[in-house]
Amino acid sequence: MFFKLALKNVTKSIRDYTIYFLTMTFGVCLFYMFNSIDSQKAMLNISAVQNKSMEMLTQSIGYVSIFISVILGFLIVYANRFLIRRRKKELGIYMTLGMEKGKISRIVVLETFFIGVFALAMGLVVGIFASQWLSVVTAKMFEVSMKAFQFTFSFNAFYKTLLYFGIIFLIVMIFNTISISKLKLIDLLTDGKKNEKLKIKRLWISVVLFLVSVVCLGAAYYFINKNGMLEVNGMFTASIVLGCVGTLLFFLSLSGFLLRVVQANKRLYYKNMNMFILRQINSKINTTFVSMSVICIMLLVTIGTLSTGMGLADVLTKGVKESTPYDLTFSYEYQRDNTKTPINDIAKKMEDDKIDLGRYAREYAQLNYYSSDLKYGDFHFDDSLLRQYFGYDQIKLVNKYPMPIISLTDYNRAAKMQGKPEISLKDDEFAVNCTLYQFQPAIESFLKNSGKIVLNGKQLTTAGKTAYRTALQTSMSQTDSGTLIVPDAMINSLSLQTEVLNVNYKVGVNEQELLQKLETVYSEDAVESGKIVRPYDMELSRALIFEQGAGLKTVVSYLAIYIGLVFLITSAAVLALQQLSEASDNAERYGLLQKLGAEESMVNRALFSQIAIYFFIPLSLAIVHSYVGIRVANNVVQMLGHLDIMGNTLFTAMIFLVIYGGYFLATYFGSRSMIHQRQN
Amino acid sequence: MQKILTVEHVEKYYGNKGNLTKAVDDISFEVEKGEFVGIMGASGSGKTTLLNCISTIDSATAGHIVIDGMDITKLNSRKLSKFRREQLGFIFQDFNLLDTLTAFENIALALTIVKTPVGEIDVRVHQVAKELEIEDVLKKYPYQMSGGQKQRVASARAIVTRPALILADEPTGALDSKSSRMLLESFETLNSNLQATILMVTHDAFTASYCHRILFIKDGRIFNELVRGEDTRRQFFNKIIEVVTLLGGDNSNVL
Repeated sequence: MFFKLALKNVTKSIRDYTIYFLTMTFGVCLFYMFNSIDSQKAMLNISAVQNKSMEMLTQSIGYVSIFISVILGFLIVYANRFLIRRRKKELGIYMTLGMEKGKISRIVVLETFFIGVFALAMGLVVGIFASQWLSVVTAKMFEVSMKAFQFTFSFNAFYKTLLYFGIIFLIVMIFNTISISKLKLIDLLTDGKKNEKLKIKRLWISVVLFLVSVVCLGAAYYFINKNGMLEVNGMFTASIVLGCVGTLLFFLSLSGFLLRVVQANKRLYYKNMNMFILRQINSKINTTFVSMSVICIMLLVTIGTLSTGMGLADVLTKGVKESTPYDLTFSYEYQRDNTKTPINDIAKKMEDDKIDLGRYAREYAQLNYYSSDLKYGDFHFDDSLLRQYFGYDQIKLVNKYPMPIISLTDYNRAAKMQGKPEISLKDDEFAVNCTLYQFQPAIESFLKNSGKIVLNGKQLTTAGKTAYRTALQTSMSQTDSGTLIVPDAMINSLSLQTEVLNVNYKVGVNEQELLQKLETVYSEDAVESGKIVRPYDMELSRALIFEQGAGLKTVVSYLAIYIGLVFLITSAAVLALQQLSEASDNAERYGLLQKLGAEESMVNRALFSQIAIYFFIPLSLAIVHSYVGIRVANNVVQMLGHLDIMGNTLFTAMIFLVIYGGYFLATYFGSRSMIHQRQN
Repeated sequence: MQKILTVEHVEKYYGNKGNLTKAVDDISFEVEKGEFVGIMGASGSGKTTLLNCISTIDSATAGHIVIDGMDITKLNSRKLSKFRREQLGFIFQDFNLLDTLTAFENIALALTIVKTPVGEIDVRVHQVAKELEIEDVLKKYPYQMSGGQKQRVASARAIVTRPALILADEPTGALDSKSSRMLLESFETLNSNLQATILMVTHDAFTASYCHRILFIKDGRIFNELVRGEDTRRQFFNKIIEVVTLLGGDNSNVL
């Protein structure tokens, strides 16, 4: 009997549930899709390195999924509260007929269960198909070929989805039972007639609050801009707190403020349905301002992750071409501790250890870094040029580092291997190489204005007004924040810091063979037991970096899309549910407008404006927030390389247009049919 | 005298062939400009259905309804909206004020719907408010007003657009006797000072006694018609009671 009633209720009110249902389906689908990535490996030709990236990806998605399921759990609990509220009258009738609360909650629990099972089944089916498509994308992101297309099904992801959503629905059922046990019959039957008491009674208070909120937000923007994102200190915290408070106050006071402003202009206030719409929004602001603020912040996260996340992924891989001028680079840090001895010639040491480097290498050259007591701080760089990119504390730290020094010969050999022009220096001259663009303006300003250094008591003058931009070794990203190039004679008096060997392979060489050989000769055991000295601490190959880069790019952009999409659908769904449930409450008001002779188009326009305001005001503030936030975040990202802001913003905007816009339209049409249905 | 409303053989049927309910069964009458006409009848007699047909909220199955020279049974829905907002004023039993708007705004809403020039809105709202003695509540919200005040605000909203015909559906239904009296006196003022034509549906004899003429409806047909003429309100009230008793008496015969 109850089973039937619940099933009938679900099928009957399928339209009310549509948005909730679709959102859940979408959520389940995303959840399965991203958790099933692991199983897609079966389809791809991946190397060991890529396999590691895959593992990292799977692991991070696993962690993020916990967080995601909490967010989705909140959404589902929230949505259920709305759906129960929407059906207060129906539940009230059950109660007047003498049905006990326990039985009513059993009906509601059953309904939740049906919807949950439908959504889960549907989401899994869609997810299973969508994950096939995702594996094609994964293959492209990893820049690997697919073996042969085969239909994959991830039992892991399947069970995980069932488990996580099962728990969520269990919690929802508990929440529903609690909220039903709290219901009072009188409230159920007279619901909707009661007026919301306004928290801010006087309109001028909201004007003052609005101004306060603008000041708060302005201060928050100022602080975050000044402080940047790398240093978590008082200013950073203040900026976050002020931002949240400002956002809350903004939504609390906005409708009152708008009302006040528009009221002052009678022509506008009495035009069309403006008066009605503004009052509509003002009347609900007590209950909506918190959710509007939360939605605004969630949208900020969405915009932030989608655009910077994707941007970061791009940057991580884009800089790779410039930062890997050689096929392979060995580096040996000498000064790290005193137990090490200098190698002096890494290549020769390898030959001695029976590694035939010449068999693989077309050319190779050693490059030694030295250090003196000349620190960055001694150059007295123009602080304002560095401040664009760094915080005070960072600059202080940098100033304590000694600037690395290389000899002219080493530089020329390194440059020659890249086909770059060689340079010459007189005995009392020096030059600077720098690949990190954040340091270039400061260094070049120094070269132009002062251009003189004292090294071991000898004064040197710069040979040119610009710094060279030669990457001196293969690395994950550009790292050269300024290296002095001095005449060879000067080197002898300096202390050795790092030895580097850059190698370019002969055509058609199998890199793995060389690496394996090195692995066997300088095996962990042999080195540990002291049988042999490994002439390098780290080897970095261009191919490896490329593979890792692609892997990292995939990890970062998948996580960004995963988090971004879930946040986006959650906030859009909350807004949609709010508006739909409000539309059913408001049907009477809109009905009255029609009785007073307002045309259908006029009523529809009023409804459209009301929903549009609810959807686009949080979005607008989120866009302003993220404009500031992304600009600051970009300063961080830019340290790693240049960022294509336009492309990512466009991508984000497209996603918003489709998903957020879709929710908006669905809400509008749903509300419209709800209002007109009431009339007939 | 100019005829404002002509109802000709109007019928309204519900249901299908097998189970037909004649809510309004061949009713004809006329209302002239400046008249205050009441329609009385028990619950289920069809009086509200008739009012809905006249107010264009519902459409008649057969017959013609002509208001101010326009046959509304022949209008499409778009024209009906236009007609409704320009020619008709409504007063409902449960006030139907928007709780989000102040009294002033509720009255002004009717004017904004007919796109009255902004400059006129203030003047006209205050004018009507003065007539109905609600100037001091204009800034209040409905929840801050008494029932009588609410209904007078609703009346102000109905009259402010200067409609040809005001339709009131049980306007005193939710009011106590003192408020009812005040409201009905307001109606009299509107009727005599502004020449407002009022058609009021009620089942309360006291309320009906303020009318000039009363149509009694039973089972969808006009059962009787009573004209006040030179009678005092008390005399008229007694006559109404007689008819109501007759109407009720019919019922007791059935029993």
